[in-house]
Amino acid sequence: MSEFVPKPLRYNEGGNVHMDFHGAANTTIDFIVDRFGIEAMHEIFRKVGEDVYQDLRRHLMAGDRDELVRHWRHFFDREAGDYDIAVSDDEVVLTVRRCPAWHHVLEIAGRVSPHFCDQTIVTNAAMAEGTPFAIETVVTGPGACRQVIRRRA
Amino acid sequence: MIPSDHFTRFYNEVFKFLESQGEAALESYFLEISKNQEKHILDLIREKGFEGMLEYWSVIRDEENCDLDLGYDEDRFEIRMHLCPSLTKVQDNDAQTWGRYCDHCAGWIGPIMDKTGYHLVYDVIDRTKPQCRMQVFKDEAKAREAEKDVRLLMGWPGHPVKQG
Repeated sequence: MSEFVPKPLRYNEGGNVHMDFHGAANTTIDFIVDRFGIEAMHEIFRKVGEDVYQDLRRHLMAGDRDELVRHWRHFFDREAGDYDIAVSDDEVVLTVRRCPAWHHVLEIAGRVSPHFCDQTIVTNAAMAEGTPFAIETVVTGPGACRQVIRRRA
Repeated sequence: MIPSDHFTRFYNEVFKFLESQGEAALESYFLEISKNQEKHILDLIREKGFEGMLEYWSVIRDEENCDLDLGYDEDRFEIRMHLCPSLTKVQDNDAQTWGRYCDHCAGWIGPIMDKTGYHLVYDVIDRTKPQCRMQVFKDEAKAREAEKDVRLLMGWPGHPVKQG
């Protein structure tokens, strides 16, 4: 019997990684918040969660949280993040001890936007909106967070 | 974390928002990104000229997995992008591609060339195709001459493309 091979992720990048994009994201966040306000920045992140990550949303909508877990593993591995993921029947907990994005920005820019982690908080919430799941994102320290997928009550 | 691999798709959403706020908002953002990029490239250009450009874009070629040729001679630095990973990702996207996505490259590079005394000629060729040709000249007259041979010339803040 052949082993089950899951379909590739919708976005399944390989090759090298350009970490400096996180610096451009940090600059962008400061720019948008300074000129247009935090709500405009959040609206852009909601668009990312709803439109760019439509495929992850479709999986969540169908009751499948595994695709998001695969997405987390793929991209945190690519960027050498220090993390683990605990999966149980009730919840999935992603514990990020060292966020590669946050720490790279600190290294190259010396300062991380106070709104930098909103990209995770708001994008996660938007991805899960209207699905059977909620994703709670809690910043637990500088460049560290916990992201929890739970079935809505 | 929005993965660095997905930055361009985030960028694409930022551009759509800024376009809705008007052209001045977009130009202001290009200048902000240009300023951000200065820390990676400005000293290289000031200290090493074309060789510094070669160093910077060689790293970009490798880290961003670009299919491009680059090089320089006495007069001119040139990049021929055969397959741009940035536009390719934005087009391989469940969100809609912003039609002027390619404008951002000249948008941030142009101000840096102005600041360092070089003359940029940026031919996007076709905004729907992930290929372009960038030339940087020491001599302004040679840049203006090269502009006659482009298909879709890009401008940047403070340097609009002359119509007609």
